[in-house]
Amino acid sequence: MVGGLAVCSGLIDLLGHGADSPPLLITGSGMGLLGALLFGRVTGPDKAKPVDIIAATTLTMALGILLVAGLYIMTGAAQRPDDALFEATTGLTTTAMSVIDPMDLGYGLRFLRAGSQWVGGFAALLIGIVILPFFGFGREFADRSSSDGYRPLAPDEMSATRNILRLYVPGTGLIWGGYMLAGKSALDGLLLAMSTVSTGGFTNGANEFADPSVQWVAIVGMLLAGSSMVTLWYLVAGRGGLHRQTGLAMYLGLHLTGVLLLLLPSTGVDLAATRRLLFVVAASVSTTGFPMDVPARWPTAAPVLLLLLVSIGAMSGSAGGGLQIRQHRALMKLALREMARQLHPRAVLKVRLAGRVAGEETLRQIVVLQFLFVAVTFLTAFLVAVFGLDLSGAISAAVHATATAGPVRGLDGVIVDPTDWPRSVRLALLPAMVFGRLSIYPAVVAVAALLNLLRDKARVKRRYKARKHGGSL
Amino acid sequence: MKRPTTRWETTTGQVTGIALLFVSAGMFGTAVIESIAGQEGTAMMLAALVTLLPGAALWLWTRPGQIDRAAVFSAVAGTWIVVSVFGALPYLFAGTFNRSGIGFPVVLADAFFEAISGFSCTGSTVFGSHNLIADQGPGILMYRQFTQWIGGMGIVVLVVTVLPALRASGLGLIGAEAPGEGGDRLAPRMAQTARRFWYLYAGLTGLIAVALLAVGMSPFDAVAHAFTTASTGGFSTRDASIGYWDSVAVEMVIMIGLILGGASFTLHSRSLAARRPVHHHNPEFRGYIGLLTGATLVVTILLVDDGMGVTRALRSAAFNVVTLGTSGGFGNATGPGSDGDFVRWAAGPQLILLILLMTGGCTGSTSGGVKVMRLIVGISHARRTLRTIRHPRAVLPVRHGTGVMAEPMVERIAGFMVVYGMLVVSGTLVVAALGTDLVTAMGGVIGSLGNMGPALNKAGPTASFVDGFSTPARLVLAFLMLVGRLELFPMLLMLVAPYRTLHDRVRSR
Repeated sequence: MVGGLAVCSGLIDLLGHGADSPPLLITGSGMGLLGALLFGRVTGPDKAKPVDIIAATTLTMALGILLVAGLYIMTGAAQRPDDALFEATTGLTTTAMSVIDPMDLGYGLRFLRAGSQWVGGFAALLIGIVILPFFGFGREFADRSSSDGYRPLAPDEMSATRNILRLYVPGTGLIWGGYMLAGKSALDGLLLAMSTVSTGGFTNGANEFADPSVQWVAIVGMLLAGSSMVTLWYLVAGRGGLHRQTGLAMYLGLHLTGVLLLLLPSTGVDLAATRRLLFVVAASVSTTGFPMDVPARWPTAAPVLLLLLVSIGAMSGSAGGGLQIRQHRALMKLALREMARQLHPRAVLKVRLAGRVAGEETLRQIVVLQFLFVAVTFLTAFLVAVFGLDLSGAISAAVHATATAGPVRGLDGVIVDPTDWPRSVRLALLPAMVFGRLSIYPAVVAVAALLNLLRDKARVKRRYKARKHGGSL
Repeated sequence: MKRPTTRWETTTGQVTGIALLFVSAGMFGTAVIESIAGQEGTAMMLAALVTLLPGAALWLWTRPGQIDRAAVFSAVAGTWIVVSVFGALPYLFAGTFNRSGIGFPVVLADAFFEAISGFSCTGSTVFGSHNLIADQGPGILMYRQFTQWIGGMGIVVLVVTVLPALRASGLGLIGAEAPGEGGDRLAPRMAQTARRFWYLYAGLTGLIAVALLAVGMSPFDAVAHAFTTASTGGFSTRDASIGYWDSVAVEMVIMIGLILGGASFTLHSRSLAARRPVHHHNPEFRGYIGLLTGATLVVTILLVDDGMGVTRALRSAAFNVVTLGTSGGFGNATGPGSDGDFVRWAAGPQLILLILLMTGGCTGSTSGGVKVMRLIVGISHARRTLRTIRHPRAVLPVRHGTGVMAEPMVERIAGFMVVYGMLVVSGTLVVAALGTDLVTAMGGVIGSLGNMGPALNKAGPTASFVDGFSTPARLVLAFLMLVGRLELFPMLLMLVAPYRTLHDRVRSR
């Protein structure tokens, strides 16, 4: 995929000055050939273990990051390896804390940046709809039922992947069309559409969203990108009952509440200001992170509110990050159940989500997911604090990185430029971005698998040495 | 005094009445000190009398009955609220928080805040440069310390010591108030158990007082600080807290006292019964000491890295880690910007302190926070869940030490942590909406919910909560202190029993 992306970038660069085309085309073709060779020659096991598939997802993401970083170095877009690594990670994880000025890049590299986000968004959808439900947890929430002649989104792994593509590609086209209608050029519109649909958030220059019509397209795009694929599939398949989807209601309610709370301190109703606030809230809830100036009267609670919205994140089964709405609903219901249990300790109380009874194992894993999310955030905040950020900056950066939510907004509402941070801070944020994009679990499972492998190897080595020296363990 | 033969059956009324009697006794005692050496003796006597009368009335005209869990929560939460309201009277009558340009509602809120901070052993204060502790009379100061001492082991636990008629409800009441997962039995009868806890507590307080006397504190300060050390409260009779003495010996005694106060009193009791320490056999205690030691080391390294000398860094780190890790909340800063003023430290060590604000001490101790046992079980639960992905059919128990934790208990702990997390997040949002910046709001909420004392940024160890929070925000924090002190559920579910009663009455009509 990365090879294909590089080749496409190389071809698009030919529309401009074309200076980056040769390295992109050559490297992309090389990667593609190697990938095709491996795909053709290597056969997977007949029955792969779920844990192996989950661990492989993490490895694929890591490999993708390294390959894209390599492309940045080869083309000279990034002068230093750490900058290339940061830009690649922030792209593929759809975080969008960019350290490269897109104005300095040619068409090809701009496409590569936006394309990496598009691939990252697709990977997030695969993880949320295929990999985790089929090989991890939350299988009961996969859209598999084909009752009443309804064709579900995810009856099996392959169909789910195909159906995701059926929504993702036309969705990108739709938003691209919207941007073009709003006055963007074909390339700029495409790049923005790729960043929007993937909840990525890369832009191609300052004042990208100065035009109100572009803002509206971006708002609608972000709202759609943060919506669950199941919800969008319902729309496409013409299945009713959208009004009964509590997750969707919560998602839209979050937007409404956010805008209303941010509007509270303002004295009068100003449509432009309301639109800008809706943009800011949509960028936070969907974790897209497109930048937008905030009103001069910025309430003290606003950064806390936005940070909260970012950590809540988008709907489950979307390309958005954060802990996601279904998980929050499950946690809220668990909290209510715990209160009920305090009064009736022996009662058997089930938690219902999306019209289904959530399994105890799923609930347990959601609770652990919350712990891991908080742990990753605090650990990252600690590291970046040690490396030089102030306390609020560290917490804010860590939450944004773990939620893959784009540029960090300071307490005064101004967007922080990551190039102002020390390099160590930027490097410390990378694992959080990867963990966040992989919905925490696959990354933790991969790390655990790696540690197990190392431990087993060390044990074998120890035994070998002990036998060699005639002893026993 | 002869009690009437026909009495209204209400456990809440009986427990509240006796609690008010205990509090009024403390008020009388401190009013005597104020009468001898201060100026507000009469006002404090009046407050004691106003507290005594409803207390005596409730004690005389009510009797305890058997109650269900909802009523237990109402009884415990109701008692704490009533005691806090009456506990604010000495401050109000003595005019402690009267300042020029400040209206009565703010004075009332401040008095209420200080009383709740005292009884809940939080140690956050509204005294500060605008209203110095040094300007207060000794009676008022001792009363502040007394509120923490009585709240430390628990007002309801104290009531159970003199109320054997509660029978089985006693365990429920103690369980609802005690830090941790339910109450431990030290004796067959709950009243005996409660009495043993209080004897241990009083003994520890006495020991700390003697040790503080030995290291150079005046008898008044020694007793006052012993009260708030054993209770892991954190109130001090000095504006600079422990920093006033600037003495390593005093800090060492306070640290040891806090560590003992933050450890399980059941373990202390078992050690006394076995005539040797048995603490090290307990996984929670090992985790507790490990956490404090590890945090001290990391903070020391970071402070040294930031340019502080090794000895000064170790002293500041150890004291502040212990005082926040045990939910004590004392400060050893000699003034703003001094070594112990942790809000001036780099962000790394502050973040460790923020995490410690959440963890707290051991279950069955006087400390607040999530508790080390819940953390250990939470981590063990997370490891088990991750292993389940690797081995989907394996039956993996959650272990705590050498034992296996029962599944319902694991679920309870997980549920507790979910509710705790939600309260932290929603509390931070509300406090920020009331005009506080992110770090101060987060520190204040975590500190209040964990009954820790000082917060971060504008409400650090050398600042007042008046500087960091608006009056409504302080009231929110006061509510969170009570929620945290009662381990969330009694306060959150206190209205269930009254609602049920009301609902039943309406239906029967």
